[in-house]
Amino acid sequence: MSPALKKIGDGAAVLQLRDLRKRFGDQTVLDGIDLDVGQSECVCIIGPSGSGKSTLLRCMAFLERYDDGVVYIHGKSLGYSFVDGKRIADRDVQVDHTRRGLGMVFQQFNLWSHMTALGNITTPLRLARGMARAEAEEIGRKMLAKVGLADRADVYPARLSGGQQQRVAIGRALAMKPTIMLFDEPTSALDPERVGEVLDVMRQLAADGMTMVVATHEMGFASEVSDRLIFMDEGKIVEQGAPKTVLRTPETARLQQFLGTWRARQADLFIQ
Amino acid sequence: MGLITANLPQLLHGAAITLVLTVVSVALGMIVGAAVCGLQLSTSPIARGLGRGFVSVCRGLPLLVTILAIFYLPPAFGLNIDAWPAAILALTLNTGAYQAEIYRAGYMMIPPSQIEAARILRMDPWQIRVYVVAPQLLRLVLPSLTNAAVDIMKSSSLVSVIAITDLVRVSQQLVALTYRPVEIYASAALLYIVLTLMISGLGQLAERRLGMGFQR
Amino acid sequence: MPADLLLLSAYMPRLLEGVAITAEVCVIAITAGMILGFVVALLRRIRFPPVRWLVVGYVEVLRGTPLLIQLFLLYYGGPAFGITLDAVPAGIIGLLLYTSAQFSEIVRASFTAVPAGQIEAARLLGLSRLQAFWHVQFRQVALLTIPPSANQAISILKDSSVLSVITVPEITFETGRMVNETFSVTAPYLFLALSYWAMVIVLSAGARRLESSIPR
Ligand SMILES: Nc1ncnc2c1ncn2[C@@H]1O[C@H](COP(=O)(O)OP(=O)(O)OP(=O)(O)O)[C@@H](O)[C@H]1O
Ligand SMILES: [Mg+2]
Repeated sequence: MSPALKKIGDGAAVLQLRDLRKRFGDQTVLDGIDLDVGQSECVCIIGPSGSGKSTLLRCMAFLERYDDGVVYIHGKSLGYSFVDGKRIADRDVQVDHTRRGLGMVFQQFNLWSHMTALGNITTPLRLARGMARAEAEEIGRKMLAKVGLADRADVYPARLSGGQQQRVAIGRALAMKPTIMLFDEPTSALDPERVGEVLDVMRQLAADGMTMVVATHEMGFASEVSDRLIFMDEGKIVEQGAPKTVLRTPETARLQQFLGTWRARQADLFIQ
Repeated sequence: MGLITANLPQLLHGAAITLVLTVVSVALGMIVGAAVCGLQLSTSPIARGLGRGFVSVCRGLPLLVTILAIFYLPPAFGLNIDAWPAAILALTLNTGAYQAEIYRAGYMMIPPSQIEAARILRMDPWQIRVYVVAPQLLRLVLPSLTNAAVDIMKSSSLVSVIAITDLVRVSQQLVALTYRPVEIYASAALLYIVLTLMISGLGQLAERRLGMGFQR
Repeated sequence: MPADLLLLSAYMPRLLEGVAITAEVCVIAITAGMILGFVVALLRRIRFPPVRWLVVGYVEVLRGTPLLIQLFLLYYGGPAFGITLDAVPAGIIGLLLYTSAQFSEIVRASFTAVPAGQIEAARLLGLSRLQAFWHVQFRQVALLTIPPSANQAISILKDSSVLSVITVPEITFETGRMVNETFSVTAPYLFLALSYWAMVIVLSAGARRLESSIPR
């Protein structure tokens, strides 16, 4: 890690959530989330299954409409505009424009199965950025090299391991030059021995000063790489702070219990 | 409207014949299908070849051609075959071939470890078939089997060409009498839809019944 | 048998004409039916209730009734609506509509097989809704439909024999005519079976070529 590049919380936050609320039917999934993510900050979100981590990230990217509150990206509200205190849904083009700087990596990779690794990266460059094929391919190859897959350019996703697919997906997102990267459990669908190669790429990204929000079950990664750790439960941020502090001295019973189960599971794994 | 109500009894009678054709050929097709599937899964190459040959001939020919061939070919060799046995035979062979493939696909989905486990428990091959394979197979193939039954029900309309008075044949006769093709054929179509819904409803019911206590 | 073969060679031009008509009818009905089927599958994605019900009704009626009844309705019932068609166009249209309904179900299944996440990823990477639909969803759907459509096409080819019942002079019809006129049975039916077999082989070979060109 190069601490010189890390300037936490300097200037305005690049991503801000204000009292974000989301319901599915009569189930409240996000119950008033407030969060500021600073330039180059790496925020990790942990929490039990169903606590709303994915929903939170999806609302940040406006893949999910939210019911109340605001998401600001670089100070611009995403998905809705406010006219005379009234909330008006933005049109597609506006949404696309506001979230231009956002990159997202999913648990299921979501590579396009009918395109090669390189095609996955060049297609958005050409369609959304209007780049010429040669230029797009040059960037594409550079990105593949960056994630350590220079020799896999012409391979279709079905022929790549999960870890390789996820690295292509990261490369594809990075090619669009995002200023903020969202990761939704990027290693949860991987074989244990493939987790490391993806985390390495993310570690490097954090070291390079990318602003990141990562929902994860990888406590090791969270405590080592994140600048701030957030514990979510039942749609609320229950605790947050420096990862070491949060993990070593949990204040709430909820987090203590969560960490207890986690440790017990680790011990089980160790015994096996 | 009066036209349809006046002719409804005959149409219903035709529908009943269609249903009988379906039930009988599906039931016989199960036996044929299971036997052919057994041949295909056998370790003997001759048996496998026979099974595969049967399936590809019966599925390679249009059902109409099978029906005509079974009805018109034997008399040329001095054997007479009535319309009903010919119809049942043709429908049975057809659905039997499709069912064989359904059972084979289902069998492939049963983890081999289960059969190995049963073998280790010293169950004999027939016990394994009856107690381990068959119940799971039934659960696995039921949706496809329902489709096959609907298919053969619709296809059974073709036996009207050898003068079986099924729903189509009855409709044709009624049209010849009344000169009202639209009303008669539309009613027949409606009855076919009712039969389709009936069979798929029954299939779903069976699925739910069998689903109890099962985990996929 | 030699007499049979002589008759067969005498009838060969008409039989071959029948094969040609079968091929022609199938090529038109399958091509047009697939295009229409795609349109139907797309329309089915519209959630607006009247459109939805209309499309669902279209598909379910065509899939829930025998082709034979559909042909009768079109050919004999058409004139009541001022649609008087010759046998061949009626046969083509009937087979085409039937194909479109079958095919639309294949397309619908393919749509559900493309993970929603891939489209979300596309939208987040800046592709417009239309670009995401065309470059990510539609292309994959088109590729996914190829293998099942090949089977579907073969089954439509066999179903086309039903057109003989409404006197379309395709191969089954011409064979029946020869049997009626000559009382020779074995040779014509053998020829009939072989011609379907040959057409199925040609179709499967084409399908395999197409499938092997799918990138993976
Ligand atoms: N599309 C949806 N429709 C209805 N309910 C949903 C939907 N998506 C999520 N939920 C519900 O919202 C709650 C939060 O889900 P979410 O996926 O955000 O949890 P999570 O913290 O990401 O869990 P995990 O660790 O398992 O990924 C869950 O109870 C889930 O069932
Ligand atoms: Mg999640």
